[in-house]
Amino acid sequence: MSEIVQSPAPTSHAPARARTKAQVAHENNIKFAVWLYLGSEVVIFAILIGAYAVFRYNNPDIVNEVHANTGVGLVALNTFLLLASSWCMVMGLRSIQMDDKKGLINWIGATAVLGSIFIALQAVEYSALSSEGVLLTPGAEFQNFAAHFYPPTFFHGLHVLVGVVWALRVIWRARGGHYSATNYLGVETFGLYWHFVDVVWIVLFTVIYLW
Amino acid sequence: MAEEKSQDVVADEEVHALNDSVHLPGGYTITLPGGIYTFVFLVLGGLTIFEIIIAELPEGLFTLPILLAASALKALLVVIFYMHLNTDNPFYRWVLGVPVGVALLSILYLLAVPPVAY
Repeated sequence: MSEIVQSPAPTSHAPARARTKAQVAHENNIKFAVWLYLGSEVVIFAILIGAYAVFRYNNPDIVNEVHANTGVGLVALNTFLLLASSWCMVMGLRSIQMDDKKGLINWIGATAVLGSIFIALQAVEYSALSSEGVLLTPGAEFQNFAAHFYPPTFFHGLHVLVGVVWALRVIWRARGGHYSATNYLGVETFGLYWHFVDVVWIVLFTVIYLW
Repeated sequence: MAEEKSQDVVADEEVHALNDSVHLPGGYTITLPGGIYTFVFLVLGGLTIFEIIIAELPEGLFTLPILLAASALKALLVVIFYMHLNTDNPFYRWVLGVPVGVALLSILYLLAVPPVAY
């Protein structure tokens, strides 16, 4: 017979977490798998960011010219949106830990909306950059810059898109009553992914847009 | 025994994260909705504004180190408080830290290589 592991209630109005040791081991295994996945993502993003950093280091004039033409306003707004989405994400986790299912749906919904706006604004940014000659097509004025700029930012944008779809799935499962104060591993693992995407953007924002 | 102790640590973290009070260095305590999560979000916003101001100033010797330090601090805040690396299984720190360390060393090495044709 499985042994019950009893943890104290997080707050006075939230139920205590009672899980078998097998459940605890299962949760730990899934979280470990997510962390391993994130570790592999670090390597992929490091290659893309490293390639840009070497280009930036050796071609400061080209990068400064592009920055002077485009400005940082739109990207700064996008950065605040993504930081806010991370806050919404963690507030959603906090809500379900307090057994507030409606709060979870609202906060994760806000996360999905902010992520969607981020993607839309990135499309606007790409459009503005292309009109400035930042294109991958041969002969474009800033083709070399584009070859180092688009891969990391587009790959990150794809991660945001996957995150938005994942957020919608979390909302769908939450509406079905899947999560509770004693069962929120699905929210937690999504949170790890979303916060990682935020961390990558924090680095990209500094290295690509501010340096 | 070790597993039971680990469970206690998880429970303590949950109590801390669900509290609206934030204990600051020096014995100060502030209370705001969302507690430590909201506080970290405000700090992240402030650091971002600081970064933008520094980037808009004329470039100097310390511009890049300051920007990188602010960026690293922001990333650490998210990893520690939002991804709960401060209270979760300590092994996860290695799972994330080793690839980050290797990546940083690799990028520094690539930056040190002179840009010459073969």
